Amino acid sequence: MLAYRFDVFASIVFQCIVMFATSFFWKALYSNSDTVMGVGVQEMLTYTIISALMSIFLTTKVEDRVIESVRQGSVAMDMMKPINLFGIYFAEDLGYLTSLLFQNAIPIIVIGSLFITIPRPASWYHFLAFLGSFLMSFFINWFLSAIFAMWAFSILNMNPLVQAKRHIIRLLSGSIVPIWFFPSWLAKILNCLPFVYIYQLPLDLYIGKGTPASMLPRLAIQFAWLMILAAAFAILQKRVLRKVMVQGG
Amino acid sequence: MSVISVEHLSKEYQIAKKEKGLRGAVKNLFVARKTIVRAVNDISFSIEKGEIVGFIGPNGAGKSTTVKMMSGILTPSSGHVYVNGTDPQKERIKVVQDLGVVFGQRTQLNWDLRMGESFEMLKHIYRIDSGLYEENMAMMNEILGINEFLDTPARQLSLGQRMRGDLVAAMLHSPSVLFLDEPTIGLDVDGKYAIRKFIKEMNRKKQTTIILTTHDLGDIQELCERLIIINHGIIMEDGPLEELIDRIAPYKNLVVEYFDENAVEHEKAIILSHVGNMVTYRFQKADLTAAQLIHDISAQMRIKDVTIEEAKIDDIIRIAYGGKENGEKE
Repeated sequence: MLAYRFDVFASIVFQCIVMFATSFFWKALYSNSDTVMGVGVQEMLTYTIISALMSIFLTTKVEDRVIESVRQGSVAMDMMKPINLFGIYFAEDLGYLTSLLFQNAIPIIVIGSLFITIPRPASWYHFLAFLGSFLMSFFINWFLSAIFAMWAFSILNMNPLVQAKRHIIRLLSGSIVPIWFFPSWLAKILNCLPFVYIYQLPLDLYIGKGTPASMLPRLAIQFAWLMILAAAFAILQKRVLRKVMVQGG
Repeated sequence: MSVISVEHLSKEYQIAKKEKGLRGAVKNLFVARKTIVRAVNDISFSIEKGEIVGFIGPNGAGKSTTVKMMSGILTPSSGHVYVNGTDPQKERIKVVQDLGVVFGQRTQLNWDLRMGESFEMLKHIYRIDSGLYEENMAMMNEILGINEFLDTPARQLSLGQRMRGDLVAAMLHSPSVLFLDEPTIGLDVDGKYAIRKFIKEMNRKKQTTIILTTHDLGDIQELCERLIIINHGIIMEDGPLEELIDRIAPYKNLVVEYFDENAVEHEKAIILSHVGNMVTYRFQKADLTAAQLIHDISAQMRIKDVTIEEAKIDDIIRIAYGGKENGEKE
């Protein structure tokens, strides 16, 4: 939304701060050794930039949108359109992402390449695998958000829960600290949850960590989570739409 | 076949009952006491094509709830609604494709987009044919004059402009049914005039069936051929305004000013008050005409002046709501 220019600049600045802070953190950590857990400092910096970039595309508005429209009762206006309710929200998210692509993603790539490192993928094959996996993580993330958003139809104040969910995803998905740095018991648990398939797996593919043989099962799990969440979304959506409640009026 | 038929429709809400004070707030956190409120209680009616129906009642009577159930936004607790023969609960998308809605207190214009862009978006959402779109835009601009502020974002529009924009948005796809929830709320005289004119024109040109809820007596008198009066979730009255007046207030008052304090009595009129030279007669419209009464009186005594008083619409409506029975002017 170009209408709010300050908003755009503020979000770019904020994302750059996070990106720079994380990259300084890695540089400091790597000052004593060349590789940690088989990953060099170059890869780690690439990881940071790509993670920042992914976080832009994994921004979803659907929760805020549903919370706001349920609170204000404007969900009634959405229901008057001859389209699926969540179809509207998905289309709005896509539109929002398109604007973010130009407003945030391109500046982040340019600034990251100039001041941190050029985020090269391990190879073209890795890049393609990354794209495929990222597409799945995009939908995993969106379905998770949409399922959360559905709660807003029965719980009127969802904001704290949504915030908690966002932080949990940031922490447990490997978006800031890769889970291979986590204790192995925790990493094992996390590998069963959907979060690592939002950030960690596509990022691993991008920097070329792990062999193709070790990646295929993980891609399979990612696909399985995508299917589970899509099914949950479809079932819940039907139930939610049946008992929409409109505040006021 | 009726355009809208409503059969034994009811809606119950659960409302959390909160006790006052800190103690109540804490208590409410653990045991929420819920009470059931019947917003709409077993109502039935049907509306034919091309009717303009006023859906009126005091605040909290259940009007909006009923309108929301008719448009598929709320699920009824029991009963059925059919719009053009289709149940909006089962086939919401099919029903809303042929439905236009304006909620006076909300807008469907996008806050940040120019108003014209919001219309363009609706054109795609409803898959409106370009020819029809242009034709509708031109016709509606003629009545509402929206072209002036087509380039203004909705957030910068005045209430009157926004409401005109919302009406256009609701009618762009030429729906056969239009729901208007308080369309003239908060508007100035010009705005009300334009909107009433628009409603009448749409009804006449396109045979659009219009259901409006309103608190504005002008809307009721000028627009509604039929009134459905609802209160406490039940239908109190259903019929044309004239019929309602005839039934609730089948009388008129005649105020006569004489030259002195003597007054004439009439067998078919009662004297309501007699103060000085002024005498107020009340007669039943069915028994007597005002002309006859004046004629009879003036045959006996000279009259200086006469005024005919009809029961006031707002009093009649208030009586119809089931409020004060002696609502008429003393």
